[in-house]
Amino acid sequence: MKYIKRDWKPGDADEWTKEDWITIIISPLCYILLMIGTVLSFLLNVLGFILLAVGIFLTWFMHWVIDPKLKVISSEYEKKQHEYLEKLERNARWEEIHG
Amino acid sequence: MIEFQFLDWFWVVLFLLVTVGLGVAFYRLGKRSESDFFLAGRELPWWLPASSVYATHTATDTPIWVTGVVYKYGVAGLWYTFFAAWCAISAFVSTRIFRRSLAYTQAEWNTIRFHGVGAEMLRGWISGWQVFMNMFILGWVGIAMGKVCEYLFGWDLWIGLVLFSSLCAIYVLAAGYWGVIMADFQQGIIAFLMIIIVSVWGIMAAGGPTVIADKLTTMGEAWRMNPFAFTGWFSGEFPVAWFITMMVIAVIGGFGMGTSIDWYVEAQRIQSAKSVRDASYSIWWGTALVLTRNSIWAAAVLAFYVMFPNITSQSTYEMGWFRLGFEYLPVGLIGFFFAAIIAIHISTIASHLNLGAMYFTRDLYLHYFKPKASEKELVWVGRVATLILLLGSFFYGLMMEDITSWLIFALWLMAAGVWLPNILQVVWWRFNAWGYLSAWIANLGISWLVVWILPHFNIIPSLPDYQQFWLLMLLGALIFLPVTFLTKPEPMEHLIKYYVQARPIGWWGPVKREAEKLGLLVHVELNNKEVKK
Repeated sequence: MKYIKRDWKPGDADEWTKEDWITIIISPLCYILLMIGTVLSFLLNVLGFILLAVGIFLTWFMHWVIDPKLKVISSEYEKKQHEYLEKLERNARWEEIHG
Repeated sequence: MIEFQFLDWFWVVLFLLVTVGLGVAFYRLGKRSESDFFLAGRELPWWLPASSVYATHTATDTPIWVTGVVYKYGVAGLWYTFFAAWCAISAFVSTRIFRRSLAYTQAEWNTIRFHGVGAEMLRGWISGWQVFMNMFILGWVGIAMGKVCEYLFGWDLWIGLVLFSSLCAIYVLAAGYWGVIMADFQQGIIAFLMIIIVSVWGIMAAGGPTVIADKLTTMGEAWRMNPFAFTGWFSGEFPVAWFITMMVIAVIGGFGMGTSIDWYVEAQRIQSAKSVRDASYSIWWGTALVLTRNSIWAAAVLAFYVMFPNITSQSTYEMGWFRLGFEYLPVGLIGFFFAAIIAIHISTIASHLNLGAMYFTRDLYLHYFKPKASEKELVWVGRVATLILLLGSFFYGLMMEDITSWLIFALWLMAAGVWLPNILQVVWWRFNAWGYLSAWIANLGISWLVVWILPHFNIIPSLPDYQQFWLLMLLGALIFLPVTFLTKPEPMEHLIKYYVQARPIGWWGPVKREAEKLGLLVHVELNNKEVKK
C-alpha cells in the first residue's frame, strides 16, 4: 500500500488521517521557508534562494498530499449543505430548539 | 509635504472612480439576500476570498508597524509578524470544521457547538464584542490614514480619516460583501504590485542588494540579515523564549477558533468560499501572500536602514518604507503609490464595515430582536449598521491617542487568557459553554492582576509579555477546568448533531461512538475496511 493515500471515498475522507497530520506539520514549515527565503532572496543571498526553492517544493508536496482528500470531502459535503443551511436558518429564527 | 503633479492626481482620481464603481456595480447581487449581502451567496472560488484575506490584512498602519520592528531588530523582526501563521494549521483544521458548521459568524458557531442558555450568552457576548471591536479597528486604521495625509499634504487629521472611509462606505452600503470582495481583488493586485515596485526602487536607491549587505557588514550590523538574531535565551528585548512562545501561540493556535483577533475576519471569508476545499486554500494562500509581502518590506527596510542608520525616534523610522516611495519614486509613480496606499486602506475599512454589520444584523437583530425579519429587511438593517459603524469609527479615530494603550491591553487580554479555551472548544467534546464563559470572565480579572495591579504593589515583578502569556494561561486553566468538570457536558444529542456535520478533530471519542451506534457515521478501521454500524 502506498504511504500517501490519494484515492479517497466519502466515508473515509471525513476521518482525520496521517495525510492531515503530514499537512499540519509541513504547512507551518512552508510559511517559515517562504518568509525567510523571500527576504534573503531579495538581498541576493544564496541561502535565501535555496530556502525559497525548498519552500516552494514543500508547498507543492503539501497540496499533492491533501488536495485529493479535500476534493472528496467538499463534493460529499455539498450534497448535504442545503439541508444544513435550512436547519441553520430555523435555528437563527428560533424555529428549532437546540439539541 | 509632497508636491503632487497633474499625473499623480490623475492616477488617484482614476483609481477611486474604478474601485468605487466596481464595488457599486455589484449592487444587484448584494441586495438579493442576507447571504449575498454578507457572504456573497457562499459561491466564491478560493482565489477571491484569498485576495480579500491579503488585502484586508494590508492596512495603512501595517507597513508602519513592519518597518518599525525590522528597523529595530533586523530581519529577525519579521517574527513579530509571524502571528499570521495561525492560518498554517487552521487552513486544514479549524477552517475545515468551521466551514462545515455553515455558521455566518463565530458568535453563531457558539450556538451550534454549545447548547442552551450558556450558548446564547456566548453568542450575545461575542457578537456585541465584535461590533465594538470592528468599530475600534475602523477608527484605528482610519486615523492612520489621517496621519499619512497629514504627512503628505499637511491636512488636518480628521480629513484623511473621514474622506477615504466615507468613499469606501459607498460601495459597502450599496453591494455589501459582493462589493467588498470585488474591490479587494482589484485593490490587492494594485497594492502587491506597488509594494514590489517601491521596495525594489528603495533597494536600488541604496545601491542594490550586494551594496546593502557590504554596508551592513562594514557598519558592524551584519546581524540584521540574520533571521535568528535573538538577544539571548531569556535576556534582552528579543529572547528565544519569546520566539518559542510566539511559535506556540501562532502555530498551535491554528487548531482553535478565535486564537487570533484575525480569526473573526477570516471566518467570513471561510463561509463565503464555495466549498470546504476553497475555504482551506483561500485562508492558506491569503496568509502566504501576507507573509511574503512582509519579507519584501523587510528587504526594503534594510535598504532604508543603510541610508538612514541613526534614527532614534520610533515615529520617524516607522515611516521609512513610505519615505522610500515618496522620496525616491519619479513624478507620476508617486500618484500611483498614493493610489496603492488608498487601496490598502479602504480594503481594510470595507471588510470591517461589512463584518461588524454582519454581527449586528445576524446575531443581534435577527436572532434576538426580530427573528421573523424578511431578507429585504435584513439587507437594509445591514446597511444601517454599516452607517452606524462608519460614524462610530470617526468618533473612535479622533479619540484614539487617548485610548490606544487601554485598548491594546484589552486586545492582549483577549488573546492570552482565552487562547487555550479557544482550542479546547474545538478539540475536546467535554469542554462546555460554562467552562468557556468562565474562562472569559476569569481572564478579565486575572489580566488586570497580572499585568498591572500585582506588579504595581510589588507583589510580583513586572513580567515580559511572553511570561505573562504562560501565567495567564495557567491561572485561567485553574478556573475553567474545574468549572467544566463541575457542570454537565452539553447534551449528547446536541453534540452528535454537531459532530456529524462538522467532524471536528481531537478528543471526540464518546460522541463519535454514539453517532456510530445510531448509524449516523460509517466506521472506518485502520486498514480502511468500512464497517457500517
